[in-house]
Amino acid sequence: MLLTPEIVPGLVATGASARVAHHVAPRFRVGDRVRVRNHNPDTHCRLPGYLRGKLGTVEQDYGVFAFPDTHAHNLGEKPQHVYSVRFTARELWGPSSPDRDTLRVDVWDDYMDLD
Amino acid sequence: MNGIHDLGGMHGLGPINPEQNEPVFHEDWEKRAFGLFAATFVFTGYTVDEFRHYIEKIPPAHYLEGSYYEHWLYSFEGALIKYGHITRDELDARIAQLQSGGH
Amino acid sequence: MAKPHAGTPEPDPAIRVRALESILTEKGLIDPKALDALVETFETKIGPRNGAKVVAKAWVDAEYKKRLLADATAAIKELGFSGLQGEDMVVVENTPDVHNLIVCTLCSCYPWPTLGLPPVWYKAAPFRARAVSEPRSVMKEFGTELPETTEVRVWDTTAELRYLVLPERPPGTEKMTEEQLAALVTRDSMIGVTKAKAP
Repeated sequence: MLLTPEIVPGLVATGASARVAHHVAPRFRVGDRVRVRNHNPDTHCRLPGYLRGKLGTVEQDYGVFAFPDTHAHNLGEKPQHVYSVRFTARELWGPSSPDRDTLRVDVWDDYMDLD
Repeated sequence: MNGIHDLGGMHGLGPINPEQNEPVFHEDWEKRAFGLFAATFVFTGYTVDEFRHYIEKIPPAHYLEGSYYEHWLYSFEGALIKYGHITRDELDARIAQLQSGGH
Repeated sequence: MAKPHAGTPEPDPAIRVRALESILTEKGLIDPKALDALVETFETKIGPRNGAKVVAKAWVDAEYKKRLLADATAAIKELGFSGLQGEDMVVVENTPDVHNLIVCTLCSCYPWPTLGLPPVWYKAAPFRARAVSEPRSVMKEFGTELPETTEVRVWDTTAELRYLVLPERPPGTEKMTEEQLAALVTRDSMIGVTKAKAP
């Protein structure tokens, strides 16, 4: 397809959501304590290194999305749930972090396990 | 991949130094680079995920020293060559021509 | 010419772009006027004034604010903002107890329909490295200091959800119109490195 100026406004206003309209059973529920996997592929991955092996709590299930690890390499969408997972700053960075501070990171089904 | 892009928590990168009232684009070429994203996306069919991965594979020194839209150029070049829309030779020849004052 | 490796200088980016654009145009794969249209859209039509309108409306309209926090994508679309890099929105509310800060450590994900294109500092290594591990030191560089009794909550945009901070409404603004309120909502307050401006 050739992108012409006429197409631009519609393209910009619609975008391209990564949501996948598949029913996929979630692996986790809100409130679950989860341990991030020791996942170290040398291919594309959206798991930041600072989360590996860390303990968090599932706060929200955002629904089903394409999985970047496969999608980036034309290996399919492998649709699965994405969750907002809460980590305390101390869990990630140690005791010198303020006690109350937290991080919320979006994590796919395949990046974590129940603790 | 555990690449240079995975910056969360890294030390030694210095202050943030936010620019006040910065323009949307600092250079004309950045505007063209920005426009190329949607324009190449629609005919190559490559995904945002793949786009990001080319950037992750930029040699670390170039990744840190290059400006933001330079990262996009690696991605465009990588995908367009991979999907057979241009060749490395074609690109290098055009670059050489432009460098020597051609147009 | 061999592919450049680390240590060899890359050709000037302006030349690299011209090479790409010229070859693709000659092959009929791109229309340069479409590039012009995209640039014009993000230079003049889409920017943080959009997000400021969303915030100001949430400040004055409690029902809108509820909808915004429940389904941000739909509520933002009510005001006519939607699409590219904002297809799946989440709005996070600042309160006296919680201050939110948005970052994308892995690249530069940012909610384009409400904030336009991100500033250089947001996409650069120092912010991406430090926002997750030392957010208070980052905010201090922007002149923002918060008590330890406030939770600083950092959102790392690793997936395709895009985040917008709903800053606290500044005190002393009770008589202001929605338009006047929108003028207090800075881009930086919707990323979370600052609060909204005082009147």
